[in-house]
This record gives sequence, C-alpha cells and structure tokens, in this order.
Amino acid sequence: MTAIVSVGGLRKRYGDIEAVAGVTFDVKQGEIFALLGPNGAGKTTTVEILEGLRQADEGTATVAGVDVRKDPSGVKERIGVQLQSSTFPENFLAKEIVELFALFYKRKVDAMALLRAVGLEDRAKQKSEKLSGGQRQRLSIAVAMVNEPQVLFLDEPTTGLDPQARRNLWDLIRAIRRRGTTVFLTTHYLDEAEVLCDRVAIMDAGKIIALDSPRSLIASLLARGFSKPVAQQQANLEDVFLDLTGHELRED
Amino acid sequence: MGQVLGYTRMLIRAYMRDWVALFFGFFFPLIFMSLFGVLNFGSFGHVSLGVADEAGNADSAQLVAAFSKIETLQVHKGSRGDELAAMDKGDRDIVLVIPSDFRIAPVQPGQTAPTMTMYQSSARAEQSAVGASIVQQFIDQLSFAVTRTAPVVTVKREEVAGRNLKYVDFLTPGIVGMTIMQLGIASVMFTFVVDRQRGVIRRIMATPISRRAYMAAHVLERLILAVLQVGVLIAVAVLLFKVQIVGSMAVLLLLTVLGSALFLCLGFATSAFVTTEQQAPAVMQLVTLPQMFLSGVFFSRDVVPSFLKPISDYLPLTFLNDALRQVATAGASLVDIRGDLAGLVLWAAVTFVLAFRFFRLET
Repeated sequence: MTAIVSVGGLRKRYGDIEAVAGVTFDVKQGEIFALLGPNGAGKTTTVEILEGLRQADEGTATVAGVDVRKDPSGVKERIGVQLQSSTFPENFLAKEIVELFALFYKRKVDAMALLRAVGLEDRAKQKSEKLSGGQRQRLSIAVAMVNEPQVLFLDEPTTGLDPQARRNLWDLIRAIRRRGTTVFLTTHYLDEAEVLCDRVAIMDAGKIIALDSPRSLIASLLARGFSKPVAQQQANLEDVFLDLTGHELRED
Repeated sequence: MGQVLGYTRMLIRAYMRDWVALFFGFFFPLIFMSLFGVLNFGSFGHVSLGVADEAGNADSAQLVAAFSKIETLQVHKGSRGDELAAMDKGDRDIVLVIPSDFRIAPVQPGQTAPTMTMYQSSARAEQSAVGASIVQQFIDQLSFAVTRTAPVVTVKREEVAGRNLKYVDFLTPGIVGMTIMQLGIASVMFTFVVDRQRGVIRRIMATPISRRAYMAAHVLERLILAVLQVGVLIAVAVLLFKVQIVGSMAVLLLLTVLGSALFLCLGFATSAFVTTEQQAPAVMQLVTLPQMFLSGVFFSRDVVPSFLKPISDYLPLTFLNDALRQVATAGASLVDIRGDLAGLVLWAAVTFVLAFRFFRLET
C-alpha cells in the first residue's frame, strides 16, 4: 500500500526543549494509525505540523501528496482534523456548526446526513455547547468530515469519555476507515490503540522509539524474554461495568 | 466574498441567540437613556455667557456686574467678534451684545428702546436655553423695576439654528456614542479573548479559510450590528422620548460606521495585551470608563475639571460625541463637523496601525 502521510527527519524546537527531535515514519493509505506516548512526548506538536498549523524547523512532511511546508492550506483542504482541547463557537446549533465549517471549505454539504453518520441527527437543533462530552466529540468528527478528507487527524478523541461513549467512537472511527479514509490518531489509552489500530508508533522525548502493529510489538517484547505474573482473568472490571450498565450510549 | 458574507450572516444569527449580548447591546443603552432621561440630570452645570459691551457706560457696567452675581452664569467680557469666535469653538453658550445706546432709564416718547442681541449656541442647546431664560428674566425684572410699565431694553434673540432642546435631545447622541464605543470594544475584548483561549480560533484556522476572510467577516458583522443597534436606539428615542433628530440620518450612519471602526481597532489593539477571560473586563473598564465620564456622554463637557480638559478634548469618544451631537441637535453638516471627523479618522488610523501590529489571532 502507498503512504498517504510521509514524514522524514522532522524537528521542532521551543526554546531549550526539542519537542520533536528527528521523526521519520509513513502512514499507509486506509489504515488506522496511532501515535502513542506520555504527555510531553511531542505527539501534538508532530500532529499539528502535519495539519499545517505549525512550521517545522527541519525535515519534510507530505500529507495526501502535498508538501506541508510549501502549501499548508493545500493540506488543510485535504484533511479533516479534531484538535485536542478546542471548542466550537457559541450560540451555533449543531447543524449550523457543520454548515459553518463547510463554508470554511467553500463547500455545500448535507449537514443532516453528516450528523446522522455520527448519530447526532436528533441533536441537530441543539446548541453545540449544550451537548455532552461524547456528543461533542462526535460532532467534531462530523465537522472534520465536511470536506471528505483523505486523512482524518484525531488528537486524543476519547479522553474524558465514559466507556460506552468510547466504544461508540471506536465504531465510528472504524466506519470512517471502511469508507476509505485514513485515520491518524493520538491517544493515552493503550487498550484503545490495541483494539483499534493497524499500526502504532510510540514516541518519547521527541523521538519515535517503536513502530509496528500492536500484535508484532507485543510479540517482539515477549521474544525478548518479557514476562509478568499472570493472573488469568476471563474478564476485567470494564467488562463488569459494561455488562451492568449496557453498551448503549448515555445521553445527558 | 461569498464566504465572508455567508460567515457574517451566520455570526449575526448566532449573536441574535445570545441573550446576554443582546441585553448589553440593545437594552442596556435604552435603560441608561430612560433613567437619565426621566431623572433629567441635564439641568446641571454652568452657562457660559459672553458679553460684548458696546455701550461702555455706567449703566452697562452695572448690568454686567449684576450678571456676574448670578451663580449659574460664568461671565466673560470681550468684543462681539471675539466672543462669537469663542462661541464657535464651543466656549460660550450665549453671547449678549449690549448696544451703544444702552441705558437704564425709561424710554422717552418717540424713541425706541435699545435692542440687545443674544446669540445662543445650538451646539450646547441645553445650556444656552437655560442661560437665555435667565438673561431674559433678569432683563424683564430690570425693566419692570425701572419703569413699572414699559421695558427699558428689548432683547432680540438670535437663535443659531434655534430650537428649544430638551435634555433627552442632548443625551441621545451621547448614549449613541457610548453604545458604539462599548459595542466596539466589548465585542472584540470578550469574544476574541475567549475564542482564542478556548481554541475556537485555532480550530477554525485548521480549515483553509484565510485570516483575511475570517477577520473581514467578524468586522463586517460588528459594523452591521452597530448600525442595527444605533438604529434601534434612535428609533426608541424618537418614538418613546420624542427626541428631535435635526440633522441628516446619512451623516449619523457615517459617524456610526466610522466610530465603530475606530473602537473595533481600539478593541483589537488593547485585546492584544489581554490573555485571559478574567483580565478582559478590567482592561475594558480601563479603556471605556474614563471616556464615559470625560467625553460628554451624559453631561456637557463643561463640568469636566479644567486639569482634565486637555485629556478630555482629545479622547476618541469626545470627537464622536461632539460630532453626533452637532448633527443630531443642530443639524450640522459634514463640513461643520470636519474637526471632529479629522479627530476620528486620525484615531482610527492610529488604532488600526496598533491593532495590525499587535493583534494576534492565536497565542
């Protein structure tokens, strides 16, 4: 498969701190790819460079065939983004938020169809700031899809969501991938990366220290002789929680 | 262009759902106007009276001395030309010319009573109306005391665009100016600082819309809202408070747009130095409060203490209020208010440069 995101020797420095210290990787077309790492590892900086929001000091980055440094707005045309800790303007209805962002791409969209795709059809006439956390994340994904992007960037999409909302969002992300969109996400939840992603890159102190499929990474760790005391459990606490409370989304 | 207009339309629609903003934008100025209009705070302050004594005799000196004893009047003496020039500059409310044949004595048969000419400034209609009635009353009493029958002197009033203005006529342009200022600064100070802090702008900048188109829509939205708000304010003033708007609506519209542009630029320039939502109200007060009191919103700038006068004279809202008031109460034309227009344009240019230099969409 061809690479839709291609990064080579990327560096970005803030004062004394080198947030991104020479990063090289490819994301293949049609995969779900995750950038993992502790806080301050440089994930968000890397993603924001790819989104055309920041300038790298060094290195190359190509997204959907466009050189990010040369044509940031060309990249913006071709990708969809969901930013960490960003909100929508107030006093817009959910449907209007979708239409507003379509306007930013100079497109006309069927806002209701996009809301339906993320399960927010019945919230169309609600102000976006009145939506619950999970609903707001789904709205931001609907908004990120207004320009039919080739790559969808999701920065910590499930942070702060309850288990039901998290699973619902996974289903949504898988559905988006089935439609042919490449998904590039960052997350702190390793279980999420394990079940959702085709490949993950682990980043620490501005560098990528591992990159493979979750299964291969685990296999190579075990091959190095790793073992931990195993308490063989057929279920965990999350299974209990979901069994008791059900898989249905809670709307508050 | 279609994108800018579409965005502007959506911004206005969202604004109309914001009850807090609507309250401060539309109802708050009306409450102010009602309050001050009903309480009639206007009967307040001194009346500046210029006297040109062309008689120069003992009787005229006695009259002038008598005027000086009236507390409300601040009497200035000078030639007719000098005093009228001072009135032009807004330093005199009334100029009284004592004719050379003036004397305090009964009029002899066959002679006519000497005629005093009283010029009233319509730019400061409220003061000049009060002053004129004091002068008229005083002369009537004097005449009666001397003759018991016929007046010793008649007063010919020269009302410059003469009109009997109420306080609320004076007040309305001030409230309009204040609203334009508040709206311009608050709408930038609050929304941009908040949107910047909450990542709203960052999210929008992740789309291909250009910064120029984004800014254009926001500025256009605020100019349209300012015109709407001023329109509502003037409509209510005219219909409910029977305010007379003497001058041209087109000139008022022009002043509204120019004033809004100025205060938007001032808002952008100052909000560049505001990083959090909590700082915004304080900085906003710092910028607007001095102008509320020193730029003649509620009262004539006569009451401004003399040591603050040099500051008051050059505040942006002073130029706007003076221009609005001259047009609304005296029907001044663009040429008449060219001084104020120059002040406004200069301020707009300076604040635009500052805004351009310091304002950032993102931190």
